[in-house]
Amino acid sequence: MSPRFKTASAAPASRRAVLKVAAAAPLAAVFGGVVVGRLGAQEPVVVTMVTDTAGLGDQNFNDLAKRGLDRAAAELGIDPRVIESRDAAAYIPNLTQAAEQGDLTVGVGFLLTEAITEVANQYPDDNFLLIDAVSEAPNVAGVTFREHEGAFLAGVVAGLMTETNTVGVVGGIAIPPVIRYAVGFEAGVTSVNPEAEVIVAYADSFSDPALGKELTLAQYNQGADIAFPVAGATGIGSFDAAKEQGEGFWVIAADADQSQLGAEQQLAVAAKGVDTAVYALSEQVVNGAFAGGEQSLGLAEGGVDLLNPGGFVPEEVMAIVERYKQAIIDGAITVPADEEELAAYTPTAPDALPAAAATPAAGATPAA
Amino acid sequence: MDAIVGFFSVALLTATLRSAAPLVFAAMGGLLSERSGVTNIALEGLMLLGAFAAAAGAWFTGNALLGLLVGVLAGMLGAVVFGLWAIGLRADQIVAGTAINLLGLGLTAFLVQRIWNQAGGSPSVARLPSFEVGGSTLNVLVPLAFLAVPVVHWVLFKTTGGLRLMAAGESPRAAESVGIDVPRYRYAAVLASGLLAGLGGAYLSIGDLSQFTTNMTAGRGFIALAAVIFGNWTPLGTLGAALLFGFAQALRFQVQALNWPIPQDLLIALPYLVTLLAVTGLVRNSQPPAGLGKHATSD
Repeated sequence: MSPRFKTASAAPASRRAVLKVAAAAPLAAVFGGVVVGRLGAQEPVVVTMVTDTAGLGDQNFNDLAKRGLDRAAAELGIDPRVIESRDAAAYIPNLTQAAEQGDLTVGVGFLLTEAITEVANQYPDDNFLLIDAVSEAPNVAGVTFREHEGAFLAGVVAGLMTETNTVGVVGGIAIPPVIRYAVGFEAGVTSVNPEAEVIVAYADSFSDPALGKELTLAQYNQGADIAFPVAGATGIGSFDAAKEQGEGFWVIAADADQSQLGAEQQLAVAAKGVDTAVYALSEQVVNGAFAGGEQSLGLAEGGVDLLNPGGFVPEEVMAIVERYKQAIIDGAITVPADEEELAAYTPTAPDALPAAAATPAAGATPAA
Repeated sequence: MDAIVGFFSVALLTATLRSAAPLVFAAMGGLLSERSGVTNIALEGLMLLGAFAAAAGAWFTGNALLGLLVGVLAGMLGAVVFGLWAIGLRADQIVAGTAINLLGLGLTAFLVQRIWNQAGGSPSVARLPSFEVGGSTLNVLVPLAFLAVPVVHWVLFKTTGGLRLMAAGESPRAAESVGIDVPRYRYAAVLASGLLAGLGGAYLSIGDLSQFTTNMTAGRGFIALAAVIFGNWTPLGTLGAALLFGFAQALRFQVQALNWPIPQDLLIALPYLVTLLAVTGLVRNSQPPAGLGKHATSD
């Protein structure tokens, strides 16, 4: 099923081919025709994505990365490949295989940090992209997201819309990106609704939906009416829990729009541009402009956002969300990213927001 | 006082039953197989086959009951393969069981890709009916799981076939010497374990949830096998072990939802800690069937 798109003759060269061409440059004047001929037979750039243990089909994080890969295949003509990791012991062999066969190796997830650093050091001429973490290896582009900023907006929605003054977070494994989500969410809730209680429970798995369902049901039973699963495939169970409870029980999705799991249950989405990152880095490699190092994407860069695909969040709530969004982009609010920062965080009530953003979003000017 | 009464709510009870039910199904299957002398670590793979086939069946037919039937048949089909290796071809039972587990994981992931053209899971499918108990929901397979326990007990201890099955597990040579067809009883037991493990898998994909996801059994087959051992290879003991584990899980969910300032890691480990304590405290003279893992002298 993997579409192998033929590169057009004008298609950009892979990094390896660029090097070959560069080495051949002095000869080009003499054997110019030969070099052009080689370029014409150019194989497409191979981008291989290695999933974490949740794997494809988590309808979440890994699938989102795959979406970016598919878009790069359609628009840039890369050859997309995916290797799924059955367990943590498979990370290094999978990444090694990917580095052997491809031009860009994408490690999807914080859990692959150590493995990708090790493999990247063994293949110093290859390009790597690590999602959600930063690696010490110079040839790894580490893209992290300020999930807490998007989660903060999700928390604003939850805090304003809960009718029971109780909301829950179901985390997969307590790793930094998940913690950023949970902490940002809590900060958002308490900013608009100091009375509300935020329950945080970790499943210790990204791939056990039955477990996610029970954790969510327990939170609903404890009075929560909105659940925020940040748990890969484990979070699929949250939708089943909301369906079972019926009207008045909601799920806010993290990472990706999960309408297909329950369009009537999904209140909003704290979206994360994993697909954009995979696409952007693929483009860099195709253009021979790959740069390693650290990149952090938040609300200001469009790396995270709050979506309202079902239209369940009313206008007036979205207006407040937009004001918070602008305040975060402008730096008026710094969203906490870990437990310590959360403890030190003083909530900013909606009334205390800068008044400038009376007409939100439309006329938003970049911060000076 | 109110807090304590509120704590031990109907919700805690139903969460216990929901967590224990798939374990009970698989454990009853494991029990039958082990009592016939076949070590069955294939439960995990058989459950996964059942979970997948049930979702696929429900998806193709649009009917959850037909899905359940397909799931059970898939579990039995996996058990036939396991039986051919472990009984017919006299392979090492642990190796054959491991092969089934790998087959279950790989084959289901492959078929998901082939059928739905997407990786990792099925779309949403029809779900088995459920009923309400005190504001909590249980699906129809929950009572069926607990009904399986007295049935297995009766078959094992009150029928001639059951006694012969246990004889095959205690001493295959002695059983053969009195004319019991040991492989036949073992095939029957392994087939039954496939049926029950298939039910346990279907419980997850179309009973509790409404779709299949890769590796959704998440080790429940192994926990079921542990329940058999912890239950000292008796149906009631195994039921107790599965209920204890289910209760510890439910307790964990409940305490996590109460947001008490207890480290999450400790709560996550709670079911395993409780099981460990119970095993060290209660299992003094656990006695496996003497002929477990031994092949019959002839086929």
